[in-house]
Amino acid sequence: MKAAIQYMLFVLLCLNITNTQAVEKITIKLDFIPNIEDGKTTFGVCARCHLPEAWGNDDGTYPQLAGQHVNVLMKQLLDIRNGTRHSSLMFPFVQSRTVGGYQELSNVVAYISTLPMNPAHSKGPWQNESKQYEQGKKTYQRYCAGCHGDNGEGNNELVYPKLQGQHFQYMSQQIRRIKSGVREVHPAMQAVVNELDLEQLEQAINYASYFAVPKEDMATSTTWRNPDFN
Amino acid sequence: MANTDKDKLSRRHFLKAGVAAGALSTVPVPLQAAVTEGAARSKTDELPFAIRKLLKKATLPKADGARVVVVGGGWSGLTMAKYLKIHNPAFDVVLIDKRPEFISFPASNSWLADQVDLDFLTHSYIDAAKSHNYHFLNTTVLGFDRDSKKVFTSNGYLNYDYMVLAPGIEYDYSRIGVDDPVAQMQLYNNYPGGFVNSSELITIKRKLNTFKGGTFILNVPNGEYRCTAAPYERACMAAAIFKKRRIRAKILLLDMNADIRIKKQGFEKAFTSLYGDYISYLPSSEISQIDIDEKTVSTDFDDYSFDDAIIYPPVRASSLLEDAGIANMKTAQKIANTDPYKYHVIGDEHVYVTGDSRSQPFSKGGHTANSEAQYVAEVIAAHALGKEVRWRSPQTMCFSAVDINPLKAMSIITFYKFNKQDKAFEFDRTHMMEDWNTEGGQASLAWAEGMYRDMFYK
Repeated sequence: MKAAIQYMLFVLLCLNITNTQAVEKITIKLDFIPNIEDGKTTFGVCARCHLPEAWGNDDGTYPQLAGQHVNVLMKQLLDIRNGTRHSSLMFPFVQSRTVGGYQELSNVVAYISTLPMNPAHSKGPWQNESKQYEQGKKTYQRYCAGCHGDNGEGNNELVYPKLQGQHFQYMSQQIRRIKSGVREVHPAMQAVVNELDLEQLEQAINYASYFAVPKEDMATSTTWRNPDFN
Repeated sequence: MANTDKDKLSRRHFLKAGVAAGALSTVPVPLQAAVTEGAARSKTDELPFAIRKLLKKATLPKADGARVVVVGGGWSGLTMAKYLKIHNPAFDVVLIDKRPEFISFPASNSWLADQVDLDFLTHSYIDAAKSHNYHFLNTTVLGFDRDSKKVFTSNGYLNYDYMVLAPGIEYDYSRIGVDDPVAQMQLYNNYPGGFVNSSELITIKRKLNTFKGGTFILNVPNGEYRCTAAPYERACMAAAIFKKRRIRAKILLLDMNADIRIKKQGFEKAFTSLYGDYISYLPSSEISQIDIDEKTVSTDFDDYSFDDAIIYPPVRASSLLEDAGIANMKTAQKIANTDPYKYHVIGDEHVYVTGDSRSQPFSKGGHTANSEAQYVAEVIAAHALGKEVRWRSPQTMCFSAVDINPLKAMSIITFYKFNKQDKAFEFDRTHMMEDWNTEGGQASLAWAEGMYRDMFYK
């Protein structure tokens, strides 16, 4: 991956102000060329919990990271780092004393995005043609597809998470956190979650959990193990 | 509060609370009557002061919802108290521990070798209670009456709607041939194991930093001891300290098991490549006797003289389970008969057993206790609403420090599943990262810090 990953940094310029002058926000755009080899080394820290395949867990405790858009991964790392997204356990892992600076974060998200995805992620309880599946499809198409895409492909440029291949339980837990205000998200996402009730959200997630992952993004079998760490 | 028969204290359970038992035998009035709330004042006045104190209600703000008393502020109890409030903010949660502050055992081997300072391991129960909106009671639990749902402490008694017992483990010296209580105490005072009380850790650090050379014995117990990898890790850290201090010392690592129990390749590599001059690993070394005066440890095969030692005996569940009348004394670990999925005592859905005193054979350690308690807190919150939650496996995340300056560590993560045929839990998928390196070392400290954040801070 040669393309630079761009991140916007919002810096508050705090002058030594003695009067009540307004503090202006300064936005700096920085480009980083990720080094995937270095990212692999850094991922050695992450893989302790996320495992070398980064495939997540069907009980919702770990998400599938493999195949996720780099900008989405980066946003989560930065949100956890500055406390916007609350995660006690992840917090110390994403601090510079553990993982390094923006370059190292760029390296590691670029590495993760090269990993093939879990060919058997966990799906929701309602299969195709069930009433709930159909209902979820309608809800998804009306409220979610605009950003997350018709097939849950997300959008790297616009930092919309890919939903393809994500574990049902993980999405379900996150949506509950967003609904209850524990997890802070983009206002558009928050508005949708507020608008819908839990049953509707659960059905939409159920539908999203059945999106097919493109074959070229998937590992060849569930027994595939990341050779970088095995 | 209604003055019913249920409020009466069961003499049987109370007598089991060892501390008070001696005093009780001299009590001139029938306890049953005396302890009943609203008993005639003249009768309670005749009781010794210590007993009267016990029969008072502990001072706490009035419960504004169902009260959950969590006994034991280790990794399980701390996590439990926090997540009970998260899953049901209406619960009135009281965490009880006899320790005034928390010193972490996980990551303590890194502290022995000066890779973190004591501040890193030390945390305040006050911070925990304040961050997560529950009460902390710094007191000692003396006994229980499950009929009237009471916990007796040295600060008075508490009524509970739910009680979680997470009192951890105790050493079982009888399983290494030391039965005499005086000999057990001598052994404990001279060669503490370092897995129950934080003073043991401080003693051990002093020993390692002042050892003048010679033979230092460490052992690995058998059975389901606390923290499977820790005795091997500690041998590495002890060797690293001796190496740094440039003393002529030999660590005899007497393993009561036939082989290294966990992370075998990683530890073997460390024993040979890093500490070949310091560590002698001796598997299948079942300790049969320890002579404290002669400073010898006997196994079935040989006798070993030592200059200093850390003796880690096999462990059992805390005797508080006995005090609660729920321990099955026929089991090696003296565990309770509990529901394997929901953790409540069979026949009492208001009393739960978690953490290292649990009945399930999950690996005893901090991460297991933390992930398990998050689930059990949900079970209890659901029970209060007449609901159930889907079982999920605890996770065992376990780091082992191997080398220092910079810290290098390896790790394992494992999950469990219930084998319906054998009616027993077994390992589900397990992932080992046995190549110890600095990434592992960084991750081990970040992990510990993350867990402390979860339990103590917002």
